[in-house]
Amino acid sequence: MSAQVDRRQMPSLPFDDPRHLVASRFLVDEAYLLDRQRYEEWLSLLTDDVWYRMPVRVSTGRASGFDTSPGMDHFAEDRYMLERRVRRFLTEHAWTEDPPSRLRHHVTNIRTSPMQADDELFVESAVLLFRSRGDVQPPAFLSAGREDVLRRTDGGWRLARREVFVDESVLRMQNLAVFL
Amino acid sequence: MAVHHADNPADLSELLAQVRQGFVPAHVYNDEEIFSLEKERIFGRSWIFVAHESEIPSPGDYVVRRVLQDSFIVARGEDGVVRAMFNMCLHRGMQVCRAEMGNASHFRCPYHGWSYRNDGRLFGLPFHVEGYGGEEGFARHGQRLLPAPALDTYNGLIFVNLDPSPVPLRTYLGDYAYYLDLYTRQSPEGIELHGPQRWRIAANWKIGAENFAGDSYHTPQTHISVVEIGLFREPKANKRKEGALYWADVGGGTTYKLPSGTFEERLAYVGYPPEMVERMRRTWSERQRQMVSEDGFMVSASTLFPNLSLVHNWPRVTADEDRVYPFISLRTWQPISASETEVHSWFAVDVNAPQEFKERSYKAYLMCFGSSGMFEQDDVENWVSITATAGGAMARRLLLNSRMGLDAAGKPLHPPVAGYHGTGTAYVGYGEYNQRALLSRWADLLERPMPGMSRTTLGRRVAADEAGQGEGEDS
Ligand code: FES
Ligand SMILES: [Fe+2]
Repeated sequence: MSAQVDRRQMPSLPFDDPRHLVASRFLVDEAYLLDRQRYEEWLSLLTDDVWYRMPVRVSTGRASGFDTSPGMDHFAEDRYMLERRVRRFLTEHAWTEDPPSRLRHHVTNIRTSPMQADDELFVESAVLLFRSRGDVQPPAFLSAGREDVLRRTDGGWRLARREVFVDESVLRMQNLAVFL
Repeated sequence: MAVHHADNPADLSELLAQVRQGFVPAHVYNDEEIFSLEKERIFGRSWIFVAHESEIPSPGDYVVRRVLQDSFIVARGEDGVVRAMFNMCLHRGMQVCRAEMGNASHFRCPYHGWSYRNDGRLFGLPFHVEGYGGEEGFARHGQRLLPAPALDTYNGLIFVNLDPSPVPLRTYLGDYAYYLDLYTRQSPEGIELHGPQRWRIAANWKIGAENFAGDSYHTPQTHISVVEIGLFREPKANKRKEGALYWADVGGGTTYKLPSGTFEERLAYVGYPPEMVERMRRTWSERQRQMVSEDGFMVSASTLFPNLSLVHNWPRVTADEDRVYPFISLRTWQPISASETEVHSWFAVDVNAPQEFKERSYKAYLMCFGSSGMFEQDDVENWVSITATAGGAMARRLLLNSRMGLDAAGKPLHPPVAGYHGTGTAYVGYGEYNQRALLSRWADLLERPMPGMSRTTLGRRVAADEAGQGEGEDS
């Protein structure tokens, strides 16, 4: 199934709809935490049943009907897996991020759509991650579209599901010691 | 000492002699002259892994893979035969397939519309009569996309060789096939391969190949964080150093020493369910079983020269502290330049494994290796740094030390493992035996000039008396 083509065709909410404002603020605040690698706080924005996935993109013929690798992802994470990754960054020995990268998540093109359940929103966004390490290597970029489900909980809005459609079939980044 | 000018045979011989001693001029990890020799003399005549048969199970299935900059369509024809065809149109050179995977009965060149069957035979040639005088003027019959000069398979692993008359793959693999089986033949039906993840790292291709071949020494340092978070229990308590390092003809790898137990108990310890253990017991040779049951060694990282590496680990992937799940990954280090490598990393699992095992094993893979893997993240950080530093003038004056396991006179500090049931030679304890073996083979190939290369005659216009001989096919 084509990732970018077959999604909800429903019109997005007007930009002054309170639900769109909630979703936009959520993504901007989330990016603020990710830029600063405040990952424990980021985890607190995720539901317990969160599903976080970044399929591998492949170049295929337009008629093939698919543009993601069947059966391979860069991430296919439940909460436990994400927690392990965050725990690792909190050790003193996650060398790939020590010294840390300078990160900037540029979030744009936010579209919010209602879902069947009142307490859920479907939110699409574009993200461009700029990552600079040290002083020798040129910076790396990662451009992606995201499709999120936000859910309202007693504690506020939480990310329940995210699919990240990275725009490269071959990543030009040394690893994914980052979140999008 | 400055070692320079790889095109000067005397200088090159001196450099290679040092490498064989375990003194590695640092610039070999970022040197365009060395790299151009590697392209010709190593990648021009070694068996290079491109795909696994499980990636293209049905007629018409194809993947496009490269050997250096040469693109090959690896396709299963309507006859079920797997071929690798140079992805360049016979007419004016356009890539006939620009997708990286799919299913097709034909490939049509987008430039002028020549089309080829999925076995490579030229099929359609627009305005054949008007433009070429038909079959008389230009024989379409017998033309085909250039086949890879050689193609061979082992356990469904598809290799190509740019040398048209190489030793057969099985001969090339030699004693290393014993180990390849442990990863890719846990049952007679073998593995299914998923992926690859692809990404580029600013690192020389040899660094990863050497690391997987024998660098058990880095595990407790580089990967301490994954032990600290409880993902992997083995590297602590010096477990790593009790493993054997083996080298067998054309490849080598690392192992972990397992707690005492039977064949079944030790495979259960790394997380295999009983039905998979039973299949391994029935599938493996006695000596393969004895490596587990008698020696207590479990394969971990490994490299088949030049650029296929494998890894087998058994992390915790759920909150259940007592359960681990093993995974297998294959990867190629595809050189882009002296300082850049494209990594292709696949997840492999025995095709007969239970579904639940496959899912957990896949999780284990994602957490540990590949583009997001927590082991791999820290590995690549090291390799990128080494490569950048190896490109400067000072690196030409530095002989890196790859001598571990040898005394000053060059004698092994310890004897090989006595009574070892695996093939090749194995040592227990930290040592750079395999890195030296790998680079010695590298040196042997670099030093050996290519025989005069004749332009391949495959794919040229076939004379009438030759037409129809190739594979007995007829267009
Ligand atoms: S280049 Fe392919 S048809 Fe002309
Ligand atoms: Fe490593």
